[in-house]
Amino acid sequence: MAASVREKQAAALKRMLNFNAQPLKNTAAEPVWKVLIYDRFGQDIISPLLSVKELRDMGITLHLLLHSDRDPIPDVPAIYFIMPTEENIDRICQDLRNQLYESYYLNFISAISRSKLEDIASAALASNAVNQVTKVFDQYLNFITLEDEMFILCNQNKEHISYHAINKPDIMDTDMEAIMDTIVDSLFCFFVTLGAVPIIRCPRGNAAEMVAVKLDKKLRENLRDARNSLFTGDTMGTGQFSFQRPLFVLADRNMDLATPLHHTWTYQALIHDVLDFHLNRVSVEESQGSEASPAGARPKKKNKKSYDLTAADKFWQKHKGSPFPEVAEAVQEELDTYRAQEDEVKRLKSIMGLEGEDDGAISMLSDNTAKLTSAVSSLPELLEKKRLIDLHTNVATAVLDHIKSRKMDVYFEYEEKLMSKSTLDKSLLDIISDPDAGTAEDKMRLFLIYYITSQQPPSEADLEQYKKAMLDAGCDLSPLNYIKQWKAFTKMAATPANYGSGGVKPMGLFSRVMNTGSQFVMEGVKNLVLKQHNLPVTRILDNLMEIKSNPETDDYRYFDPKMLRGSESSIPRNKNPFQEAIVFVVGGGNYIEYQNLVDYTKARPGKRVLYGCSELFNASQFIKQLSQLGQK
Amino acid sequence: MAADITLLFKASVKTVKTRNKALGLIDSASRDEPSCARRNTRQRNGFSCKAKEVISNISKLKDFLLQHRKDYVNAGSFMSPDVSHMTDNERDQIDQDAQTFMRTCADAIGQLRSEKDRQVVSAQVKDHRAAVLDLIEVYLKGVCKLYSEQRAVRVKRVVDKKRLSRLEPETPCKDKPQTDVEDNNDKSVSDSNVDLWEDSRVEDDLSPEEIQMFEQENQRLVGEMNSLLDEVRHIEGKVVEISRLQEIFTEKVLQQDTEIDNIHQLVVGATENVCVRVCFILNFALQNATALRVWQLYGLSPACVSLWFLSCVTS
Repeated sequence: MAASVREKQAAALKRMLNFNAQPLKNTAAEPVWKVLIYDRFGQDIISPLLSVKELRDMGITLHLLLHSDRDPIPDVPAIYFIMPTEENIDRICQDLRNQLYESYYLNFISAISRSKLEDIASAALASNAVNQVTKVFDQYLNFITLEDEMFILCNQNKEHISYHAINKPDIMDTDMEAIMDTIVDSLFCFFVTLGAVPIIRCPRGNAAEMVAVKLDKKLRENLRDARNSLFTGDTMGTGQFSFQRPLFVLADRNMDLATPLHHTWTYQALIHDVLDFHLNRVSVEESQGSEASPAGARPKKKNKKSYDLTAADKFWQKHKGSPFPEVAEAVQEELDTYRAQEDEVKRLKSIMGLEGEDDGAISMLSDNTAKLTSAVSSLPELLEKKRLIDLHTNVATAVLDHIKSRKMDVYFEYEEKLMSKSTLDKSLLDIISDPDAGTAEDKMRLFLIYYITSQQPPSEADLEQYKKAMLDAGCDLSPLNYIKQWKAFTKMAATPANYGSGGVKPMGLFSRVMNTGSQFVMEGVKNLVLKQHNLPVTRILDNLMEIKSNPETDDYRYFDPKMLRGSESSIPRNKNPFQEAIVFVVGGGNYIEYQNLVDYTKARPGKRVLYGCSELFNASQFIKQLSQLGQK
Repeated sequence: MAADITLLFKASVKTVKTRNKALGLIDSASRDEPSCARRNTRQRNGFSCKAKEVISNISKLKDFLLQHRKDYVNAGSFMSPDVSHMTDNERDQIDQDAQTFMRTCADAIGQLRSEKDRQVVSAQVKDHRAAVLDLIEVYLKGVCKLYSEQRAVRVKRVVDKKRLSRLEPETPCKDKPQTDVEDNNDKSVSDSNVDLWEDSRVEDDLSPEEIQMFEQENQRLVGEMNSLLDEVRHIEGKVVEISRLQEIFTEKVLQQDTEIDNIHQLVVGATENVCVRVCFILNFALQNATALRVWQLYGLSPACVSLWFLSCVTS
């Protein structure tokens, strides 16, 4: 797995867009134009990976939604990238009847069933378009890659496989089966794209186990079917240089409910928590200015600007996991370097003006022209850099506003202390009753974390006090009901999760002095330094990867699809530590866990970890799901 | 990785066909086929046909450039025996042809663009055609870049060659007489220089004839440069003088202008004076004259009359 998942998926997409032939490296190749038609699933998959410009470079002149009104564009080939659902198939048949395009290349995101294929065949026959349907492919790309090492299952219809859907008390078996099938289908596509058959480990007794069983069965079936196996031959050729198979760890969200509620301090996780951040696109509200509006005037319209945070943005790649104060300083540094470069270009311009009167020799002129050409060619880079600096300045300022108004640094520090079981310097009740420390949601989160991480539940009297304080602050108490139930349930099953011996060291006065020099005036916001600590998910992964013995993970089930005899309670045969691992959280995940895994990987060179989850939610979305569950 | 199920699809088509036949459905496919074919051919002419033509032309140019690239850039490496020399004329020809070709292609693209705006088609088709034209333009730019790179390499080689030829040492040849510094030898000398240069590239040091030739060439060039410099200085001096004279001229003209103004004033004044005086004198004179006439009339006429009377009396 030398190439990352994102590169593999992007390469697969590019192949598909090149009529399923390997794209040539020749830069001055003849353009072949085509039209791309996708549905919402396809759009979500393509948008984090390829920008519109890249699509244009590949010859896509138009990209349209399947269910929009489309005009006939004769003599142009059309590439379809859709899920094989009933309505999509109907629409394709309609297109074939209306003879919209010259030739059709159908690519289904996951495998299409035989009956649906026959539907298309009959429509093609009826409109005599059989020869126009040039190629039909199953792309097995039913997952969305957001980062190099992170993927989620889907963005549309994610309510169907959300935490709420999996854990609701009145769930029926058929619903559960449907959810499991969806998850397993996407995971199967993921492994096909990765080109590897993993060894599966999962805990017992929860949704993760069901997923593991089904996935193992599906992989086994596919491997046995020698004719149509997707894991042999040329599919394994690209980049399959590692001789070891990866480890696939299935985790369930119920194992650790505190992390999604946690207030965070790293850049990417903060953006996800505080701003509107989907599929690598963040929307920031910008107010029009700070002049006072006259009384009686309509409220100023706020501009919503959206930015794409892509792999090409070097600043983002470098700093998305850094703590926020570091990010602020880094933006300042970038701005200074940019200004220095701008001045250099201006200086060159003035020098050239003076030197032009001289009757210089060729060498001197060529030296200056070389400098000038380099300055001119670096201008687009400079402009791009400026755009990125502006982007990050805006985003970071918006985040900082939220932090200041909600006092999120206070929450972060307190929660870290709670999770690491160190001494608390302020009582929980004080923070909750404090009217201007954060929104009602923040207080709810803090209390839930306290409830989850405490060894014994608080006494009834204390609980009543807390409840009253929270009601005063305006919180909704239904999540608490659900957490109570959950705590009772998990107490029976296992020991409560240990959040590790981490800690937070505030840097206090010194940092405040340092920060007043920077553009971001972080007065009152403490510069907190994160000490490396492991979240539960990371700990489990560590145990399993390094084959350590630990009561938590010893009774995890073991599946190996390649083994001939699929016995259920096989003992792990592999005694060597794994080099590659994939962690998948059933029920939802977030950037905090992802960042933790990235940090874990950085400390161990030679190991690669991928993180995936069935859906990506931030704390407020999770609280909503919990309150829905608590209301039942 | 993706799974190609095209064969599966074709198999499904066959299945459906047999099923339809079995169910006795009329196969309407055979009837519709000619109309479909006709519709397709009608739609084929027009925009996409022309666009494809332009692309094929640009591809031809690209292939041509790439084919002859080696010869074009190869400014005579004489290690390989079977190299084909390309003379400068041919190179210039290639340059010119390529440029006209690129211009015609660009014109064709512009034409297609204006045509597309005139045609009445749906918005999506318009967008599609605009994007197609953009793609063709980008392709053309890529091919132009190929050409300009080639050309830049060629120009660089020529410049390097000239620079190299100037680096010959001048000291042993300073006493050689500058005999044949004639203008009509220039071309032959440079040509023979180039030929000699090409011929003797194999050896590292040059034979004495070449050294002498280069020396003479150098002397000639130095002399030319010097004379040019002198002429330029001369002209400079002349220009400076002219400017000075022009200054004086303008000064004088301005002076004359002021003088003319003065004179004009004086004349006007004088004319007025004269007029007044003249009138006065004329009046006076007229009066005098009148008095004289009166006196003459009343004096002379009785005198004449008396004289006549006297003459009559005496006779």
